[in-house]
Amino acid sequence: MKTFLRVTALSLVGAIGLGLSIQSYAQTPDLLDRIKAKKEIVIATEARYAPFEFIENGKIVGYNADLMRLVMTQLPDVNVRQLDLPFQGLLPGLDTKAFDIVVTAITINKERASHFSFTSPVAISMTGLLVKERDGALNAIADLNNKTVGSQSGSVQLQALIALDKQLKDSGTPGFKAIKQYVSFDEAYADLASGRLDAVAQSIANLGPLLKSRPGLFKVLPGSIGEQSYFAWAARKDADSETLVKLFNDGIARAAANGTLTQLQTKWFGTTMDIPASVTP
Amino acid sequence: MNLTDLIARCVAYAPQLYEGALTTLMLSGVAVVCGFFAGILIHTLSTHGSRPIVWAIKAYISVFRGTPVLAQLLVLYYLPSALGLSLPGIVVAVVGLTLNTAAYQSQILRAGFKSIPQGQIEAAQTFNLTRRQRLWHIEIPQVVALTLPALISEMIDIVKASAVVSVIAVTDLMRVGQQLSSSSYRPLEVYTLTALFYLAITSLLSLAGYCFEQRMMRRKGAPS
Repeated sequence: MKTFLRVTALSLVGAIGLGLSIQSYAQTPDLLDRIKAKKEIVIATEARYAPFEFIENGKIVGYNADLMRLVMTQLPDVNVRQLDLPFQGLLPGLDTKAFDIVVTAITINKERASHFSFTSPVAISMTGLLVKERDGALNAIADLNNKTVGSQSGSVQLQALIALDKQLKDSGTPGFKAIKQYVSFDEAYADLASGRLDAVAQSIANLGPLLKSRPGLFKVLPGSIGEQSYFAWAARKDADSETLVKLFNDGIARAAANGTLTQLQTKWFGTTMDIPASVTP
Repeated sequence: MNLTDLIARCVAYAPQLYEGALTTLMLSGVAVVCGFFAGILIHTLSTHGSRPIVWAIKAYISVFRGTPVLAQLLVLYYLPSALGLSLPGIVVAVVGLTLNTAAYQSQILRAGFKSIPQGQIEAAQTFNLTRRQRLWHIEIPQVVALTLPALISEMIDIVKASAVVSVIAVTDLMRVGQQLSSSSYRPLEVYTLTALFYLAITSLLSLAGYCFEQRMMRRKGAPS
């Protein structure tokens, strides 16, 4: 009995020592290693942004959902847990590590890029103005002086409206009557339909499905406002997330190289887009 | 507007809304039941506990009654994950709603406990009943009977308060309504239907509460 105890104690000490030395030699596992070990990745999405991501028959579908599935074929053993939550909660939640990456159409801009690490761009983001079809007085952007406009709070489209307002005022015209902010674009569309708003600023790629499913209700003013930007997905900007972002970039690059990206664009937007491999905001 | 088309669309929305309604019902059901027992515990501690415990309970009640449910849920979801403990949204939603309703229910129950005549307590002591026996067999049945209308209205309040849980990634009835309004671009009919689902849930709950009340009254009236 005594020897047994001694042997057990000695081997335990040895095992602990070995374990400690292995741990100090091996690199600390980063986010991608932990995802592989857990066999699960937590992806956050705002599934209210057709055709990029929306719900159909209870499932998240769309351009980004298809592309994300292609990217995830690189990790066949990893189960995807995709959460749907409001846009305003996506980046704060990413920051506090509630999820691993955000896969939703996020417009790349300087402020966001200084806090978060964007993947390669996945689509072009151009802001257009949606007005009522029957509104005969609104035919050009300059007609929006003294009108009430709106967009989603925290969005790049809202910033484009604020910039346009300044531009209108600088050129001697009165500018907008008011700029309203909404939790989601759908509330803004509803206010446009009911006449509380005169125009909604939204990415032109998103307006296609709206015009198609509600014909005769809305139209898009010719031209675009703000600067042309790109949509990408976002991860945390730290060394821990670097390999995960690289894996996503590799997946997007592969889809671009073998033509699947163009196929997906035709499927969801009806047109194709020329997207650079990387952009500097 | 074509009526048959409208009905066809509403029928198509129904299965998804039903799924969401089940989530809402489960969340608020668990929260209300756990909150009831937590409320009793809080009340017992606040009458028999030491002074620091009573202060802590007072602070807890004012925090949970004095801040919006939305803020409570966001803090409960993001604070642990910032500290490295990632909890699923649904767990946080149940815990958050339970903590919230426990604060309210403890106050509702307090009114019930206060109205029990001191003579009954003394009689129970004379019969050598333990404190636990006295609580579960003498006090609580009467407290529930007295405060049932207030408890049912608290239950309905929690069903409605749960409509904000989508901010922490829980797909409840409200979120399903939002998703459907996004994919159909028909917010008015989707949100109306969603509201009707909420009305159905709360009506069912108040009906169940009414039946329970009737049964208790019959039992009270029956010769024993």
